[in-house]
Amino acid sequence: MALLEIEDLHVSFKTVDGVVHAVEGVSLSLDARKTLGIVGESGSGKSVTAQTILGLTRFPNATISGRILFDGHDLLTMSTEHLRDVRGARIAMIFQDPLSSLHPFFKVGHQIVEAIRAHEDVPRDLARKRTIEALRSVGIPSPDERFTSFPHEMSGGMRQRVMIAMALALRPDILIADEPTTALDVTVQAQVLELIQALRDDFGTAVILITHDLGVVAQMADDVAVMYAGRVLEQSSRETLFTEPEHPYTWGLLQSIPRLDAPRTGRLNPIAGSPPSLINVPRGCTFHPRCPYAPPPAFETEPALAPSQPGHLVRCHLPIEERKRLWQSLQKEHPVLR
Amino acid sequence: MGAYIVRRTLWAILLLLVVSFLTFVIFNVFPSADPAALRAGRNATPALIEQIRRNLGLDKPFYTQYWIYLKGLLEHFNLGYSYYNTESVKSEIFSRLPATISVTVGGFVAWMLIGIPVGIISAIKPRSLLDRIMMGGSLVAISAPVYFLGLVSLFLFAQGTGVLQWAGAAGSYVPITQNPGTWFNSLILAWLTLAAAFAAFYARMTRGNLIEVMHEDYIRTARAKGLRESVVITKHGLRAALTPIVTMAGMDIGLLLGGAILTEIVFNIPGIGRYAYDAIVNADLPAIQGTVLFGAFFIVFANLVVDILYAFLDPRVTYG
Amino acid sequence: MRRRNAVFVGLAAGALVLVAAGFGNGGNTSGAQGKKGGTITMLSNGDVDHIDPGQAYYQFTYAITYITQRPLLAYKPNSVTPIPDLAASMPTVSANGLTVTVHIKHGIKFSPPVNREVTSADVKYAMERGFDSAVANGYASAYFGDLVGAPTTPQNKVPNISGIQTPDKYTIVFKLRKPSGVFVGALQEPLTAPVPASYARKYDKGTASSYGNWQVATGPYMIQNNAAGKITGYTPGRQIVLVRNPNWNPKTSWRPAYADKIVIKEGFDPTVGTKQILSGSADVNGDFPPPAAELKSITSNSSQKSELEFTATSGSRYVALNTRKPPFNKLLVRQAVAYVLDRNALRLTRGGPIDGKIATHFISPDFGSVGFNQAGGFNFNPFPSAGGSGDVAKAMALMKKAGYKSGKYSGPQVTQVADNSPPGSNTAAVVANSLAKIGFNVKTISVQHAAMYTRFCNVPKNEPNICPNVGWLADFHEPQTLLDPTFNGKNIIPTNNSNWPLLNDSAINKLMDKAELELNPETRYKEWGQIDDMITKTAAAIPWIWETSPTLYSTKVTHASELWNGGEPDMSFMSVK
Repeated sequence: MALLEIEDLHVSFKTVDGVVHAVEGVSLSLDARKTLGIVGESGSGKSVTAQTILGLTRFPNATISGRILFDGHDLLTMSTEHLRDVRGARIAMIFQDPLSSLHPFFKVGHQIVEAIRAHEDVPRDLARKRTIEALRSVGIPSPDERFTSFPHEMSGGMRQRVMIAMALALRPDILIADEPTTALDVTVQAQVLELIQALRDDFGTAVILITHDLGVVAQMADDVAVMYAGRVLEQSSRETLFTEPEHPYTWGLLQSIPRLDAPRTGRLNPIAGSPPSLINVPRGCTFHPRCPYAPPPAFETEPALAPSQPGHLVRCHLPIEERKRLWQSLQKEHPVLR
Repeated sequence: MGAYIVRRTLWAILLLLVVSFLTFVIFNVFPSADPAALRAGRNATPALIEQIRRNLGLDKPFYTQYWIYLKGLLEHFNLGYSYYNTESVKSEIFSRLPATISVTVGGFVAWMLIGIPVGIISAIKPRSLLDRIMMGGSLVAISAPVYFLGLVSLFLFAQGTGVLQWAGAAGSYVPITQNPGTWFNSLILAWLTLAAAFAAFYARMTRGNLIEVMHEDYIRTARAKGLRESVVITKHGLRAALTPIVTMAGMDIGLLLGGAILTEIVFNIPGIGRYAYDAIVNADLPAIQGTVLFGAFFIVFANLVVDILYAFLDPRVTYG
Repeated sequence: MRRRNAVFVGLAAGALVLVAAGFGNGGNTSGAQGKKGGTITMLSNGDVDHIDPGQAYYQFTYAITYITQRPLLAYKPNSVTPIPDLAASMPTVSANGLTVTVHIKHGIKFSPPVNREVTSADVKYAMERGFDSAVANGYASAYFGDLVGAPTTPQNKVPNISGIQTPDKYTIVFKLRKPSGVFVGALQEPLTAPVPASYARKYDKGTASSYGNWQVATGPYMIQNNAAGKITGYTPGRQIVLVRNPNWNPKTSWRPAYADKIVIKEGFDPTVGTKQILSGSADVNGDFPPPAAELKSITSNSSQKSELEFTATSGSRYVALNTRKPPFNKLLVRQAVAYVLDRNALRLTRGGPIDGKIATHFISPDFGSVGFNQAGGFNFNPFPSAGGSGDVAKAMALMKKAGYKSGKYSGPQVTQVADNSPPGSNTAAVVANSLAKIGFNVKTISVQHAAMYTRFCNVPKNEPNICPNVGWLADFHEPQTLLDPTFNGKNIIPTNNSNWPLLNDSAINKLMDKAELELNPETRYKEWGQIDDMITKTAAAIPWIWETSPTLYSTKVTHASELWNGGEPDMSFMSVK
């Protein structure tokens, strides 16, 4: 049985402009010690999905349905009180911008101590010791001095390390990393990813890695789900996704990865157009307005997420053969990284 | 920080000098009553008035008068003597200080104790019935003038004048050292009246700030850590939401002082506000000067305290 | 003219009053047996003007001064006839009017710490210190300036006035330069209350006397003090505590002095103060009249209606026209204004009929046979109109006569300087509206009440065309104190002037100068009645209200209003029931 099972998750928010359908029928599963990458542009529903796992989208204006099974319990129906035991202790989360995610008025050490003491009845000095240990383990130099630093006194990379230390201080089963490197310098990005990887390997933590960057996924994920407009468009093992991607959107994502071995043309190959509004989602395939290959049915009916081979799910009207042929020809024009 | 405080203090002194000079200029340029004639009475001869004018030093050019005043102030911390009854302005102000401090500090405490919790409750359940009632009530409290509110509260709740004789009567003030119970009882309506408008305003501000702060990323982090919602709100949320409120409060202390003048008049509390009012009616420049300087000092001092406090409240702020 | 209610600071101040015309229920007053003991609480809005009896010149202060000090003469409640207080008998005046002799009572002692018997020298010193600018008494030169040897210029020390003689310990002889119709009346002023020279001299030194804070008493009450004599019962703007004077001998006084203690609490909003008196938590109002709204509710539906007394005040409010400047230098134009002014609307700015009768001339009804009747009483109304609302037709006719062909004024804008707050500002607005009916465009300069007087209307060179917020009350029961400072051409002075119309009519001046010296009361009052008639017809000033002053008592005390002092309660006659 999977460690975490998301079944047919729907999340929508009532706003003054209308109902935002942020997540529409997402089903995912995560096995212990594995890393699941969720990829998509902003507004694809990947962050909402992740936050819903921890009940962080429990707002009065939110409507949530489906199931999120963790350890045999449905996190969606769990009382806030019980969910609190899961948050931080069993499933931890780190966010995109460590500066805004750390409280500006509390010392970083205190913020970690607080997390520990929220779940374990340990004396203050022991919590402090463990905090310093955690800071050390994420590679923060002179952690006992850093304990009393304020977030604004640290660099971006250090701050994200603090976040990671906080998340891992209680040895959770799952770490949800929501765009953990987006706000960081390119050089620091790699360090942070390596850190997450190393800790995952050391502690055996399962990771849900949320990113818009397929390059990050390529480095870390075991399985990948590509999300678009609140839906999963393609889902497979990393290997399959990079060698035999079948969804035109995935192709677009792959082609927009900057390549280090190709001459720089000065611009990437972004997918034309912009993501749809989640209030007025297009009829038919949600991607069809931007899809150069969309066959006529895509304008009317939404394709189902169907297996093209075992372990590879694709949501597309194009016939499987056609997809393979198109990918082959694209590969010749513009090979992507392997 | 030390250098900062020194610099601020020097600025404050300069500001007070400017304020005292402006008060002098305003008094001399705009037509207010002639203090010598007021003191002399209606049947006095012009010669007597001139004599009084000389005795009060009012015959000298106003810059000379100002210089004499300034010398007295700087050399002996002498605020001069009332034109009207020759009492020492300094001793009048100091003897009235406890009453004014009682009014303002009590009003401030009431203002915070009412305003902030109401704002929090409203923020936790925005658009709930409770929120609507409290925010509606606060609109009324903000719009009602202190003087009117004071009279209404006296006619509703004060001994001697009220429908329900719950609180002390107007004019029943005694120093806290004399009888703390009577002191409290005589001031409670004044505090609530003074606090009402401010509390209402601060309730709205707390609500707005807290609602905004509760959308911050670090609140999400706090929740993701598994903290209790009550801790998330009162520790992480309020800590951030209240910091700007402290700054506002520092600036509003001037308004509080203004409100205290009216409150002291309605509730007949013998404080500096009442003294200022009488001084203006009597064209009593030394007393006006004294109270204006006191008010300016109070505001400058409060702002300095708030600025220093702010450096402690918000670690991102430093003063060099 | 003494200062009046703080709330009204407007009219200066008044004394003598006859019966409260038409109002009031009397309550149980002076004659009734009172009960010894207890405390009387008086509420006030403002403070006394000066705590020193030699400086006091304000009817609210007088309510305190007269029960702590004993001037030569004083009044019982409900009476306007002065009777001996410190004096043993009424003063005797020599046939030529130049010598006034007063004997004082034996065995009257100063309160602690002085404790010794009062002598005539103490009265002499008290009056002399009034001429020292450190005391700066407001009426000393007006009433006692005719004494032989009285200084004509301000003094920086207490002068020796040779015209005040003390042949023995109990006799004072006043020598006058010329006969005076008002000198004896003025002996009721608190300046004649004794001050012990040897004790007070050290406090009278310097530019401002501090005797007020060390004063000793001769009346039944004294301001609470300590063993050294320092006043402890007076906190400016807060309260005044009066306790019994242990050295007061009831056998020497006609004051019953029932209460053991009198507390004057200051700083009350008039509405709040009124409600406290109605509830019985205080006993009587001091310097403020109950606000019009409160008066209406008390008189219409309160069971405490009988606790309210209305006392007439001795003078009027009027609109002064500057006779030195065009267009009001013309008699016909002024008379047109007198016709057109809506006196009824003016009275409404002060609360309407409850505040008094519409005035038609200057000597007020409470003077009765001492000038009011002689001036023609209520029948003397030279500028009549229906309901007092103004007669536009008559006014326009006069304007035509004055050379304005359309009957409406066509000259340059005229200016008035008025109060910047109600009720005075409302009064000024009514004046402007009335004048607009005959073509005047009135520009109003609004300033604080005290500034209106001391910077504009009291300073002839700054005086505007119209002073709409002036008025005058008599100090005591002589029409001279009402009409002479205000309309005699010789009294126009460069500052602190009270002759607001700047009226300098030789016929009027001449008759006044004669009446001032007239010792025969009958002739004197007839002359002043005639003077009132002449002044009114010049329309240099247009009177519009003879005010009454309301005093509210609690149900816990007996009433005792001082008719001579504008309705201030006489707390030495009040008793706790």
